[in-house]
Amino acid sequence: MAVELEGRLEDVVDHGADTRSLFLGLPVPLDFRPGQFISCQLPVGGETLIRPYSIASSPEESTRLELLLNLVPGGPGSHHLFGLPRRASVHFTGPWGTFVLERAPAAETVFIADGTGIAPIRPMLRRALATATGHRLQLLAAAATPARVLYRAELDALMRDHRDFGWDHVASDALEDEVTRRYVARDADRSRRFFICGVGAIVPTLRDLLRRAGYERRAVQYEKW
Amino acid sequence: MAKLRVQFESGEPERVIEFDPRRAPFQHDGRPGSILDVLLAHGVHLEHACGGNCACTTCHVVVKKGIERLSESEDAEDDLLDKAPGLTPTSRLGCQAVIEDPDAEIVVWIPKYTINQISAHGG
Repeated sequence: MAVELEGRLEDVVDHGADTRSLFLGLPVPLDFRPGQFISCQLPVGGETLIRPYSIASSPEESTRLELLLNLVPGGPGSHHLFGLPRRASVHFTGPWGTFVLERAPAAETVFIADGTGIAPIRPMLRRALATATGHRLQLLAAAATPARVLYRAELDALMRDHRDFGWDHVASDALEDEVTRRYVARDADRSRRFFICGVGAIVPTLRDLLRRAGYERRAVQYEKW
Repeated sequence: MAKLRVQFESGEPERVIEFDPRRAPFQHDGRPGSILDVLLAHGVHLEHACGGNCACTTCHVVVKKGIERLSESEDAEDDLLDKAPGLTPTSRLGCQAVIEDPDAEIVVWIPKYTINQISAHGG
């Protein structure tokens, strides 16, 4: 069985009525790769629920993890986490997952994050910028409105500091059309790399769209929650 | 009744589970009627760090008999299996491989380690 670890809820930041960052303090550093997740073991209703959450912070902050989550209507796991008081203990295993980016690819790279799907993308993007190869890095941040893009101020700052990086808001319901317009219809370049994360059917829809358009299978990495 | 025989690289004794696939789901993680669903409901631990949502490889199993009686794999499962250590032609993710045939007899082998455990805890 996996080794169980423990963190303490140190801080909470609300991004809106139903989206929250939890900051877990760890007694020992956690060695993880940008994009990985931890598997929370939540005591709910007399049983242990397993709920995976991407680590939204970077490996360089190895004793303080940020988890980003939505309050899911009727979801016992997210309701439990939203109800935790400060200093509460959170048990977890990990890190887990193979949706990772350890160095900037030697190609134009497109990150596509739908809503809280930006959680694993955020440390990936930071790592890509820290190891940049001179190729363009672009983030499409999908949300209902521009104001609901998570980490917006941080993204603006990154764009100011890194001339090879840009980000745009895309309405969630226009994401498929926008990806088609930018990366399928506009040119015949199929050397780009993609990292896609979101909740639900949009993720395999974009995966299939890009692969069918001629991008290599392994050039399209994704995580669907 | 379907029969699922479970063998462990760790040396644990073999388990044999008989069940009726038509009564799935048996618990709440993994696809209903999947190998993971059946194992957890019968007290057999199979790691599933992502909660059985096809987002990791921790429930990797090797099907030694009866792979043709399981549901077909989809792209998401195949993409993840590409990254599983010890991948074999009959590897599946336990959370995705569903046993639908009430007469199926399946034998699975559970590897000792996952790629993530090796990475995180030095094997």
